[in-house]
Formats: sequence, C-alpha cells, structure tokens
Amino acid sequence: MNKDSILFALNSLRARKLRSWLTMLGIFIGIAAVVALIGLGEGLRTTVVSQFGFLGSDILSVQASGIDFAGPPGQAVSNPLTTELGDKIERVRGVEAAIDRYIETGALEFNDQQHINVITSVPEGEQRKIFQEMLNLKAKTGRLLEDHDDRRILLGHDYSDDDVFAKPVEEGNRIVVNDREFEVVGILEKKGSFIYDHSAFINEDVLLDMFDSNVDIIAVKVKDATDIDDVTLEIEQLLRKERDVKEGEEDFRVDSPKGLLESLNSTLFTVQLFVSIIAAISLLVGGIGITNTMYTAVLERTREIGIMKSVGAKKSTIFTLFFVEAGLLGMVGGLIGILLGLIMAYGLAGVGRAVLGSELIQADVSIFLIIGSLAFSFFLGTVAGVLPAFQASRLQPVDALRERK
Amino acid sequence: MSTVNLGALLYALRNVLHRKMRSGLTIVSVFIGVTAIFTLLSFGIGIQSYVEQIAEEAGADKLFIQAKGIGAPGTDATFFVSNEDIDFIEDINGVSEVAGMYLKAAEIEFKDKKRINFIVGIDVDNLDFIEEAMLVEILKGRSLKKGDTDKAVLGYNYQIENKIFARALDVGDKIIINDAPVEIVGFYDEIGNPSDDANIYVTNDMMEQLYPDIKNRFGHAIMRADKGVDANELADRIQEKLRKFKNQEEGKEDFFVQTFSDVLATFGSIILVINGVLVLIALVSVAVASVNIMNTMYTAVLERTKEIGVMKAIGAQNKEILFIFVFESGLLGLIGGAVGVVFGMINASIGGAIAASAGFASLQPAFPVVLIVGCLLFAFLLGVVAGLLPARQASQLKPVEALRYE
Repeated sequence: MNKDSILFALNSLRARKLRSWLTMLGIFIGIAAVVALIGLGEGLRTTVVSQFGFLGSDILSVQASGIDFAGPPGQAVSNPLTTELGDKIERVRGVEAAIDRYIETGALEFNDQQHINVITSVPEGEQRKIFQEMLNLKAKTGRLLEDHDDRRILLGHDYSDDDVFAKPVEEGNRIVVNDREFEVVGILEKKGSFIYDHSAFINEDVLLDMFDSNVDIIAVKVKDATDIDDVTLEIEQLLRKERDVKEGEEDFRVDSPKGLLESLNSTLFTVQLFVSIIAAISLLVGGIGITNTMYTAVLERTREIGIMKSVGAKKSTIFTLFFVEAGLLGMVGGLIGILLGLIMAYGLAGVGRAVLGSELIQADVSIFLIIGSLAFSFFLGTVAGVLPAFQASRLQPVDALRERK
Repeated sequence: MSTVNLGALLYALRNVLHRKMRSGLTIVSVFIGVTAIFTLLSFGIGIQSYVEQIAEEAGADKLFIQAKGIGAPGTDATFFVSNEDIDFIEDINGVSEVAGMYLKAAEIEFKDKKRINFIVGIDVDNLDFIEEAMLVEILKGRSLKKGDTDKAVLGYNYQIENKIFARALDVGDKIIINDAPVEIVGFYDEIGNPSDDANIYVTNDMMEQLYPDIKNRFGHAIMRADKGVDANELADRIQEKLRKFKNQEEGKEDFFVQTFSDVLATFGSIILVINGVLVLIALVSVAVASVNIMNTMYTAVLERTKEIGVMKAIGAQNKEILFIFVFESGLLGLIGGAVGVVFGMINASIGGAIAASAGFASLQPAFPVVLIVGCLLFAFLLGVVAGLLPARQASQLKPVEALRYE
C-alpha cells in the first residue's frame, strides 16, 4: 500500500461520488419542476374555483342553452327564459323561491372615465331578501338597495379601490350608467370574486326600463339542500314540457353550484395535467440516468459481486442490494427536489403577485404532493434499478471473479 | 491536424458503439427531451405560419369596427354599430368598402334535432369583400344573393355525417332556423375550427326578418382601405371621426377600430407566449439529459484513464485529448437529437391528424428546415457543453499516474 494507490482509490471514490451526485441532480431537477408546477397550478385552481365557491349548496341556476364561452350568461342564446317560466318553477315542490335574474353590460362613467362592466338586477319585494342572502350581499359602507331606489346603484367592492376609476367611488357619489345618473347607495364587502367585486347592482324595474332584456338566469332556492337532486329533476321535467323538447335534446341547463364547480375544476385540471406531463418527461429522463448509473455500478463491482456470491450471498440478496441503492438515489434526489420545488413555487408565486399585482397567483403545495413526490422518486429509482440489479444478481460467481476491469 | 481529427472522430465513434448500453441509455435520455421540444415547436411554428397565411390572404387592407361589450361581437345588445355609423364611415376618405355584420345564436332544427350555433348576417352588396375577409369560399352550391330571404349557406361541418347532424346535409335540404323553414343553397369550405365551421350564413335582410329587434344594430362591421392607404393610420382616423360624429369623448367611445393585422398579431403573440412556456418546461428534461451526458462522460474518462495515459505517453497533447472527449460527448447529443427529430415528426404528425379529425384542421405542425437543423445543432451543442468538464479532466491527467491506474 503506497501513497499513490491510496490517492487513486480516493480519486475513483470521488468520481463515483460525483456520479451519484450527478444522477441525483437529474432527479431533483425533474422533481423540483414537477412540484413547483403542480404547486402553482393547484394554487391557481383553488383561487379560481373559490371565485365561485361562495354560492350556497341550496341554490340551482336555470339557463337557456347557448354557445358556451361567448360571454356572460344569457347572452348567446336563441330561446331565452321567460318570467312565466320562473313563476312555474316557483310552484315546483321543494322550491322556496325562483328569482329571475337579468345580467346586462353597461358603460359606467365616473371621474371622467368610462368602463364597461356587468350590471345585475336585484328583485323587488319579498324576493329581495332571499336574493341578498343567496349572493350573501353585505354593505361595507352605506346600505343595500331597497324598493323604490330608482336612481340608486349598489357597487361591488372593487369600486372602492382606485383600480376601476383611478379614484375610489364613495357612498353618495354620482355615477352615470348608459347616460342615466345614479347615486351610489353603498359599496359591498369584498367577495374575492373578480366578477362580483366588479359588478354593479340596480333594481330590477330600473334595469328593465333601461335595457330590452330577457331573463338570463333563474336562480332557484330549494327549501332543503338535501332535496336538491330531486328538485333538479323536477325542474328539468317541467322545463322539457314547457319548452317542448325531448329528453337529451334540452335547450336549457339546470346547474347546481357543485356541478358548475366540478366542470370548471375539470377544465383547469386538464390544463394542469398537460403541463405536468410535459414536466414529468424530465423525470423519465432522470430515471434513465439512474439506470445508467446502476449498470455502471454493476459493471464496476462485478468482482465484488463475485466475491459476495462465492461466500454465499444469494441472488435475492444481491438484487436487493442494487435495487435499494437505486431507490435511494431516487429518493435522496426527490428530497432535494421537493425542497427546491417548494422554494420555486412560493418564490415564483410571490414574484408573480408583485409583478402582476394579482392575488390570483398563489402556490399551494399540499402534504399529499410532498409525500407523493417522495414516494414517486423512490419508486422511479427502484424501477430504474430493476434491470441492472437483475443483471447483477444473475452473474456467475466464477465469471464475475475472473472479470478484470 | 485534419488526419488527427479524423482519427479522433473514428475513435469517438468506436467508443460510443463499444459502450452500447450506456451510450444507448444516454442517447434515449436526450432524444426524449428533443422529441418533446420538437413536437411543441413544430405546432407553435405551424400555428404561427397559419396566422401569417390568414394575414396574407385576408390582406393588410382590412379593418374591424366592433361595439364594446362583454362576450362575442353582436351577442351583447347594449352596444352596437348602426347604419348611420356605417354610412358615415363609408364617406371617410380612404375607406373603400364597409359591411355591417349581424351575429346571433340561433336554434337550427333538422329532422326534429335541434342545435344552437352562430348565425351570421351578410351584406350581399359586399359579398365578395366579405367572403375574402372571412376567408371562406363556396365548396358546393352557390353563394347568397339579393332576395334570398328563406335561403342559407352553411359551414363546412354540416355536410359531414355525424358532425352536427347525424345525416350529412346537402344543397336543397330544408332546415328550420328559429321556427322558419330555410333552404340550403350552398356550403362554404373548411375554415379549420369547429366553431366557425358550424356557422350559418344568411342575408342581412333575412336576419332582420328572423330577429326584428336587431335591425340596424350590427355587432361589428368590416372595412377595406383604399389602395395605398395605410390601414393603421386609417383605423386611427376612423376612430377619431366616428367618435366626433357620435358625440363621444375620447376614452369613452362605445366602439373600437382595429386592423386585421393587429388582431392577428395579438392572437399570434398569445400563441407564441403559450408555446414558449411549454417549451421552457420541456427544456427541463433536456437539462436533465445533459446531466446524464456529463455523467456518462465522467464514467468514460474514468474507465479509459489508462488509455489516456498511453495516448499521452506516445505524445498526445492535452487539447487532442480534450477534443476526443468533447467530440464523443457531442456525438451522443447529436445522435439523440437526430432520433428525437424523427420521433418528434412522427409525434407531431399524429397530433395533427388527431386535431384535424376533431375539427381543428388549422392546427397543424410545420417542419421547416430551420427547426430540424436547429434541433440537431442544439442537441450537438448540448452534448459538447455537457462534455466540457469531463473532457477537461481527461486532458489534464498526468501520463504517469494515468498509466498506473487500475
């Protein structure tokens, strides 16, 4: 044993350490990318979905079918709903109230600026209270609308910031909607929904006087939330009869908030899945790196394996040895990757919020994602190690011992 | 030098072939990433060139005027373009043609089956211009003409079986639009997306008959600039003149004027950004592949330490050793890239076929030479860069120590 040979041994060890690190680097780049992307996607999905999530579980919405994605509800439809239909729905068993909703777009003018936004009707009389409960409308300043508020308007929370009209709108201010002047009666509490926080509310009769409008949505409140599926079926049956359409040919839709959320969720999920798959390609590449490293390790340690076998190591022992080594490579890489991914997800979300000024950009790395990634990286390592470990376990002791590197 | 290099090339090639398993796996890891990137880019380029083609065919002389509002043009009844506006625009210097367009969601019935699709009103006095602007051509039958108040031209998808209706419609068939019987006189050729290919086209007179309350309330109008007139300059001029004509203050207009090129450029840049983000994500896998290459090369250097010692002992210079390993590494990248390009082409073609069968005939990949050569070059450079450190290590080995290495 001279100094040089020790040096060489150290050198080769260092080389092997380098190889292990590089292999893990491949895994952790991939895991970091996947964790960061899924985390950001989840956060975005949660916030987008929460925009609609405030609707109660005892509410149904009835709409005429139209062309999707062509604008706000009720816009691109051919056979609109009618007030008579609303009255009939109200008489369906289990229905507490059916409220006709009119949604229009109007040009709002204030502070010498004009913005096109959604104007929503608020029904009169008894239905007013139900409607306000339904949408959970609460005034932050001022009050909600009352009957005979002919020249008064209620505004969503965002108007009280300076981001709509460059100057906050306050209770008592005058605002012009399609050439008609209104007094701001109150500003609503923040809902966290872009659509509602940007909406303006006026009384139904005022809206109908200003716009030539059809019923866009009939909002139905059921008496007992547990009956909601039965009530949905009954309303569907009623509408089929009233609108003279066959089952499967409906020109209307009855949605529960749950159903709407589900469809929105699944759309967003598809996008997220696509992006994640592209990111996951890097994991596949990382896995190939592990396979490669393990084949090399088997090759290098052929003599070692021969010795182990000749002193009685079983095939399964040798297999487990290499199999676990590969799994460890994966898992340690995964661990570092998760840490890096967490930093990236929250860091990017923070940067995104600061740059774009949108609260929508959030990261949400769940414990499930962390554990899942860790398990997956271990799994990836073991799968990648199966073939090399198998090869190692099948070596003949005599051949292996004779092997000269 | 050139003979040395040729020798080095052969040596590198032999080594790559010799360590079949390891080289193979390394190449696989490169080709997976290159396949993904090639596929994504070919679609990005395909869509870009489609947009450019539309811009070219529709011409740089077209403009839009659209009423403000939320949603598709014409579906929001609060704001509209009126006949007076159109007459006014027609008299503006530099405007050659103007056509008001109606757009509504209509219920179309055929053999008791109902569908809801867009119905487009066409000003038959400007038929050629409108067809040119909408990039539609008659496939079967004839175009609309004056006096067609119970006739319609249908989008491409109607004459395909099981696309919109179970039966393929033909010229002469009768359909019902909002309870009024209508005869089909023709079909337009494929536009390439399911929404436009499901449109129904009728004359403006018929639109007003079907929907009396939209009369004189156009959702948008299309215009053509006179020859030699700059469309962007004209757009600004129309915006200002119409604003004054309608007595609206600046910034409070209830309409906006845009050139076709602007609209397409906006669309194109959105596509570019989405494509760019996806390619960036796919680049992660290439980064991992480069780590794999580096690993393979470090191993190769280690295994061939003695060989390097021999080469050095008989006079090989540091830079020659460096070249040998860098080239070997680049070769790994290049082969991976070549396989990746081939698989990327197959992949993208399959994707394009799926898109076409789903009605998105406009969503097709493109394989320009630049893309192919670019991907190959990129993969080669990736290998070279990944091989630099291992090659440097190899080149700096001391001959005596390397020779002694077991």
